[in-house]
Amino acid sequence: MPKHIVSGLKYLATIELKKKGLTQQKIAEELGIDRSTVSHYLNGRNLSWNSIDVAKTMTQLCPKDFLILTNVLVKNAKKTQKIISICQSKEFKADVLDSCIGCGLCVDLCLMEAVSIKSLKANISPIKCCGCLICQEGCPTNSIKILEVNNDREYQRS
Amino acid sequence: MIANTKEVNDKNFNIKRSAEEIRNLSFKDHVCIGCGICESTCPVSAITLDDVGAIVRTNSSNPKLLINEDKCVLCGMCSGVCPADALTFSIDNQPISKIDSYPKYESYAEIDDDKCIYCQKCEIACPREAITIARSLPDRSKLVTGEIEVNEETCVYCGICEEMCPADAIDVDRTPEAESINVNKDKCVYCLVCKKSCPVTAIKAACRICSYGDYDINMEDAVTKGSSFIDDELCIKCGWCEGVCPTDAAKVKKPFEGTLTIHQDTCTVCGTCVDICPCDVLSFPKPSKGGEIVNNVAKDEQYCIKCGACAKACPVEAIEVQITNVDYTPTKSKSWIAKFEALKN
Repeated sequence: MPKHIVSGLKYLATIELKKKGLTQQKIAEELGIDRSTVSHYLNGRNLSWNSIDVAKTMTQLCPKDFLILTNVLVKNAKKTQKIISICQSKEFKADVLDSCIGCGLCVDLCLMEAVSIKSLKANISPIKCCGCLICQEGCPTNSIKILEVNNDREYQRS
Repeated sequence: MIANTKEVNDKNFNIKRSAEEIRNLSFKDHVCIGCGICESTCPVSAITLDDVGAIVRTNSSNPKLLINEDKCVLCGMCSGVCPADALTFSIDNQPISKIDSYPKYESYAEIDDDKCIYCQKCEIACPREAITIARSLPDRSKLVTGEIEVNEETCVYCGICEEMCPADAIDVDRTPEAESINVNKDKCVYCLVCKKSCPVTAIKAACRICSYGDYDINMEDAVTKGSSFIDDELCIKCGWCEGVCPTDAAKVKKPFEGTLTIHQDTCTVCGTCVDICPCDVLSFPKPSKGGEIVNNVAKDEQYCIKCGACAKACPVEAIEVQITNVDYTPTKSKSWIAKFEALKN
């Protein structure tokens, strides 16, 4: 079952990338899957609609739940990052306050590898940030504020 | 979840977090001066300074510092502000003192070997035994020259010269029928005591220094050579070496400026501060006459580093240490600047 849900997530990611105008070959490379699988997804062949429904529901969860569930299903950090960055439709920006001590806990906590330390201060990439708030919750000095700046990206849920 | 690991080795420990990078905080108890600056700086209140007065005075097996590894976030601030370098924080095995973005104290202690005469005054004065002065003395035989000769036909091998010789240079064998006398010219300083005391005038000796003065000596042969070494781990930049150096070879820059005040009316002269001071600044004054009871603590503020260990340990709060200036390298981090500035009080 978890495998089918991962397929569902990959299906959703495929659709997203197709909307962006990527070729089947490019989509296959991006997601690390066979081109024939991409073709199946796009032509609606051999699909488990039930799994896709579950996957869709996951994308509608709060960002942290979506991320953690995906991570536990995919069991691979890089692939998780890929799926989340394609399927997370919201945009976030991070404010790091001057009270940041540069302890790097956020760097180690972030599953998206969105955080780095620059000049003893956390630097959070808005492109990679998925809004899960794990860094904000873990910050020992409450120096991180994650703000949702857009919840209406290209991908519209049906 | 990311958890820290702690390795305890006697009174020392390492706290480590290995993820994106390896962050490691290590504590060396024998280097710790018990000032408690780390305790007041720690942003997550993970550090507790134990009762340092009791630990030092009872030679306890407890460490001076306790760190809760579950609270510690390995930010390294305690290491940055530690004036004794007892706490060392490193990222991927690189100590933050070597990483430019981290601020560090502007302080040093140096001995200029060109000026040093290897008198070892600093080595003796250093309260932390951090200085080693190694020296090689000139060859004594090259500094005194002369001539000495024993006329064995006259000599009766009485041994008086051997007993008189202050340099232990004469060896007289008094075995009957096998007598001999031998003068070691490397040891002889041509003082002529043997010549003067010989009852049979068998010794002829002359000191060339008397007739030719210093001209006979190669001045390079008279120089003591050596090398100086300061153990950076133990040195706390207190300035004793600079203070006692007769040739201005030792130079020390302290990280803090400030004042040390002892409230003599509150002080109970328990001596905790005297035992705890890492810089030998505090002492009991010498009584003017025997049997007099000392009723105050004296200070030699020249060598005080304003670490505040005495004030923390004083059971009756009779000591006040104020830091008025902290010298540290620039950093972009406002929170780190704030912590260094907060040392002033």
